[in-house]
Amino acid sequence: MITPRNIFRHELIGLKVLIIGSSNPSLIGLRGEVIYETKNMLWVSVKGDVKKIPKNVCTFEFKLPRNGRVVVEGEHLVGRPERRLKKRVRRSLW
Amino acid sequence: MKRGSSRKIALERIKILMNLAEEVHRKDMELAQRYYRLAWRLALKARLSFPLKWKKFICRRCKTLLFPGVNATVRMRQRRVPHVTIRCMVCGGYTRYPYKSRKI
Repeated sequence: MITPRNIFRHELIGLKVLIIGSSNPSLIGLRGEVIYETKNMLWVSVKGDVKKIPKNVCTFEFKLPRNGRVVVEGEHLVGRPERRLKKRVRRSLW
Repeated sequence: MKRGSSRKIALERIKILMNLAEEVHRKDMELAQRYYRLAWRLALKARLSFPLKWKKFICRRCKTLLFPGVNATVRMRQRRVPHVTIRCMVCGGYTRYPYKSRKI
């Protein structure tokens, strides 16, 4: 199950996402569903078309399937999806 | 970090991805194949055997994920040893699974 604790190492594809912060102001407020993931990009489907959003400059708010929402700094999500499986994140970050 | 915990997460992720692939394949077959590839890479990384439910529907020759009625046919064959034959419509390869153990 995806929890705020293991979201760094869990699957992002299929989650609803809202971008709450970015160095690119035109991305802020974008809302959609994650379709695919590469090392540096999240592919988000927004009203039918796919947008590729860089992970490292954005702050995301994910809606978890069961319990609430999590805010995640995109920097901590950088890495190929299968490599994030064994990623360690320091406690002080959150 | 415990080894078991990343394996558990990997299995969950594989299930999520494969269910998504099943959902999405009628609209976008390419995306479904990409989800399955990702799930496969997760299994390799975590040293898990792929869940048998889906493993049987992967073409042995070209490694495509097969959906019966879309890009695969499934037939029961009685000749020689009774078996199930899955034919991949992408590469034309056959995968055979015997379903009856031989009498000794």
